[in-house]
Amino acid sequence: MFYKLTPTTGQPLYLQLMQQVRHAAETGALRDGDQLPGIRTLAEELVVSPNTVAKAYGELEHEGLLELRQGLGAFVCVKRRTRSLANDVNLARRRIRDLIEQLREDGLLDAEIRRAFEAELLYAAEAVRKR
Amino acid sequence: MTNEAVILTQGLTKSYGNREAVRALNLSVGRNRITAFLGRNGAGKSTTIKVLLGMVRATAGGGTVLGKQITDKKANLDMRRRVAYVAEDKPLYGYMTVEQTISFARSFYSDWRTNVERQLLRDYELPTRQKIKQLSKGMRTKLALLLAFARRPELLILDEPSDGLDPVGIENLLQTLVAQSADGVTVFFSSHQIAEVERVADHVCILEKGCLAVDAPLDELRQSYRRIDLVFSFPAPEREFRISGVERIRTSGHQMSVLASRNAEALVERAHRLNAVSVEVAPVGLREIFLETVKEN
Amino acid sequence: MLWYRFWLETRARFLTSLATVTIFCGVFVYHAEGLLRPQWKSGFNRLLFINQQFLVIMWILACVLLGMGGIVREKAVGTSSLTLSLPVRRATVLGVRVGVGLAEAIVLGVVPWLTVFVISAWAGMPISITQVGSYIVLLTGGGLVYFATAVLVSSLVVGEYTAPAVAFGVVLLSVLVFDNWLPRFNAWRLVTGDFSIDRKTFLLGKHLPWPGILASLAVAALMVLASMLVVERREF
Repeated sequence: MFYKLTPTTGQPLYLQLMQQVRHAAETGALRDGDQLPGIRTLAEELVVSPNTVAKAYGELEHEGLLELRQGLGAFVCVKRRTRSLANDVNLARRRIRDLIEQLREDGLLDAEIRRAFEAELLYAAEAVRKR
Repeated sequence: MTNEAVILTQGLTKSYGNREAVRALNLSVGRNRITAFLGRNGAGKSTTIKVLLGMVRATAGGGTVLGKQITDKKANLDMRRRVAYVAEDKPLYGYMTVEQTISFARSFYSDWRTNVERQLLRDYELPTRQKIKQLSKGMRTKLALLLAFARRPELLILDEPSDGLDPVGIENLLQTLVAQSADGVTVFFSSHQIAEVERVADHVCILEKGCLAVDAPLDELRQSYRRIDLVFSFPAPEREFRISGVERIRTSGHQMSVLASRNAEALVERAHRLNAVSVEVAPVGLREIFLETVKEN
Repeated sequence: MLWYRFWLETRARFLTSLATVTIFCGVFVYHAEGLLRPQWKSGFNRLLFINQQFLVIMWILACVLLGMGGIVREKAVGTSSLTLSLPVRRATVLGVRVGVGLAEAIVLGVVPWLTVFVISAWAGMPISITQVGSYIVLLTGGGLVYFATAVLVSSLVVGEYTAPAVAFGVVLLSVLVFDNWLPRFNAWRLVTGDFSIDRKTFLLGKHLPWPGILASLAVAALMVLASMLVVERREF
């Protein structure tokens, strides 16, 4: 499992980690019963605070995606429900691919497209948080 | 896990003559977190640390380290056993060899971990027989850090630990800090390497002219600070955007760039109500937050 | 391991001084042998007395150098943060430093005189061990006050080179002042044996000036105590 946490995107690292673990479970990179690295091991590997990893694992356990077994580690629990999410993601990616093609035809540069996406995502996240 | 403060100051003040190096400082460092202590040179970081460790007496106010008053002389001795401190100048005795320095330090601490010492000696590639005064700056930094890391303190205070290290050394340092934190050590470090701080810190304190200008969890800063770039079809209405949370506004004709420490949503709403042609919200990195905080207002 | 640390710190100074002083005394006495006839007994004793004069100068110089150091000097050199973060009381650090310096000062007094004793005996002009002992007692007992002065100066004066300069200055000044106005209390004259020498035989008297020696040691102890108080209260 390869994770990439970016400190400068305005999103807390633990949220990024959670998203990436979820994504991995949805796309099948992580399967039901797989063991995730221990908090200390992952923290050292990613060079982030152990509190970040602990918080991510804790939240994921709260969501039901992870099972933290005392002394043994964190184990993935993928339910059938999330399988369909993988399909949703694939569908979404196709839609995004089409949209990007269109925006390019409209004359937008890739950098402009990326900034627009980031701005909209951030704004959307604000709106969700406010609610 | 109790969340009491490992370092706690109340109105801590230190003056040198009529210059106030530290002014009514209320610092709180939580247990088991990695707290970054940022500030310009001369902001009062090293002075604060010296007062906490009893090397210098406070002019006013007080504080506790590991629960004990910093003015308590007896407790101070015990505190030094439980706190590992690496000063900014990485002090070492020039006339000793690397080997002798390690033996010397080891003799004072019963919690010394020989396996960690050997591991770090190997990792840092330190020449054991060489005298300190013949070592390069990077080697001296590594040795000074080794003396702290081979112990099992409850609190690790590091003043500019990456000073003199190359990128590989900095990466190793961060990994060690993370490992220490995972072992239950509270890490309190100051650094000018803001990119590095951004990766590992849980909490950020920015000291400016002896006072705490920023004291918040890094995640909170990440989620609150926003740069909002606006374009209007008329000259940018700067006055409309001077609300609480706005740190800086720059206008140029129809364009406006706002740096907000909070309330970004309110600003975006206001921009839409004023029919802004373009509204772009972007995150703000820690470097920019720092520079904005310490700039002359 | 504080003892070991201060030994490493003063090792070069100590060994250089020891070599210099011992060689000087040895050479001095050895050549003196060649100049004298066996019957000039009192002349030889006079030479021993002169040897003590030279030895005292060198010994006091060396003691001032050995007394340098300490946390205040470390502040100028940049290592005070390390020493002050060790789980040791400042007074203990000073105490060990003084202990090591003390041992070195005593050795610096004993070894040269034993060398003189050995060379004299080997060259056929044996001197009594009591004389040697007396000279040693005068030197170390009376002279440690100068070592203590250096320690006190080192805890008051900041600066790697300023402190020794001030220490030498204070020693010189005190000798001059005492010699002019309080000659009876001049430790220098006590140490060189001026108060105890018999001008006819140039032998040290049977009774050493114990009150003077004890007073000198007491003053030395007070100075060290004062240094401890200064260092405890000081800000670094």
